[in-house]
Amino acid sequence: MHVDWLRQEIIFKIVYYGPGLGGKTSNLEYIHAHLDPTMRGELVTLKTKEERTLYFDFLQVELGRINGKKPRFHLYTIPGQIHYGFSRKILLKGADAVVFVADSQRGRMDENLSTLADLEKKLIRQEQTLGTMPWVLQYNKRDLPDVERLSFLQSKLNFLDVPYHEAVAVKGIGVFETLRSTMHLVLAKV
Amino acid sequence: MEMSQRRNGKRLVFSERTYHKIVQILSDLLKNSQSQVCLFADMNGYPITYCGNTETIDIFNLTALAAGDFSATAEMAKIIGGEDRFRFIYHEGTSQNIYLCNVGESYLLLIVFDRNVALGMIRILAQRTIEKLSALIEELKKEGENAARFVDDEFRSLLGRQLDSAFGGR
Repeated sequence: MHVDWLRQEIIFKIVYYGPGLGGKTSNLEYIHAHLDPTMRGELVTLKTKEERTLYFDFLQVELGRINGKKPRFHLYTIPGQIHYGFSRKILLKGADAVVFVADSQRGRMDENLSTLADLEKKLIRQEQTLGTMPWVLQYNKRDLPDVERLSFLQSKLNFLDVPYHEAVAVKGIGVFETLRSTMHLVLAKV
Repeated sequence: MEMSQRRNGKRLVFSERTYHKIVQILSDLLKNSQSQVCLFADMNGYPITYCGNTETIDIFNLTALAAGDFSATAEMAKIIGGEDRFRFIYHEGTSQNIYLCNVGESYLLLIVFDRNVALGMIRILAQRTIEKLSALIEELKKEGENAARFVDDEFRSLLGRQLDSAFGGR
């Protein structure tokens, strides 16, 4: 959270975290494509030749002034690839909430779990935990044929009973619901 | 109105009083350096404040990229060994240049200037600005922990309603 006193603005930071190719960038791309252009900035993406996120993606979402004060939300995705770990560490700093985008496909559970453990490890380094940082789970790719049951995903990943959403990010299903519930969590913590 | 900073994780949220001092320091830098834009931000990508001709510049995207630039070059510094991070990063274009330098471990200063302005002058003025900003950050660390009450219950409730209406909630 940052307060710009001169312009009477408050900025919150939301970070999309999750295993590589899980759909984090797809979330931001959908928000960028379908949100009223007056409510968002340009999408910044820094990708490799193979279309993988290199440093991060960034999108700013802004809402109307409330009693003269303007709220802004900065959305970042963190690269899922482990060799870009330095970006993860830096970008998580100062986050007000995290969206964990889990891949629902059968066979991706190990990566979901190891990425969640990595998130906890990085949070601990900044004196936080999954218990103190507001976070939301998004079970992505629910339209694919070979996905785990929701109850199985819940039992493995949602041990802290955080808000969760089923999603198909490329089609926009669950994308705005996830964002809204994350923003509400941020607001509740301020 | 007297405000103090609060802790959010490990980050300091500036008080209104300190904030206005920073604005003054940046305005002086802008004027003395004849630069186009001066920006003070944290390494997490939050623009703390900025001044100059920003009408055609997306300041939020620029800040996020500047923070990314710093984290990438800090890794390069570690790879070559002997350096924790580089003190400044300079991008030279055909008509415009960007000078980036760190202010302590957690903040950065970005200056956009055109080819008519000497880099040497930018470096000297940036160094003086860093010293002034660093003193403020130190001062801030000594302050108390009173919450900056920018967000009150009414703001929270109205923003909650706005979120629901913008993103399809009840």
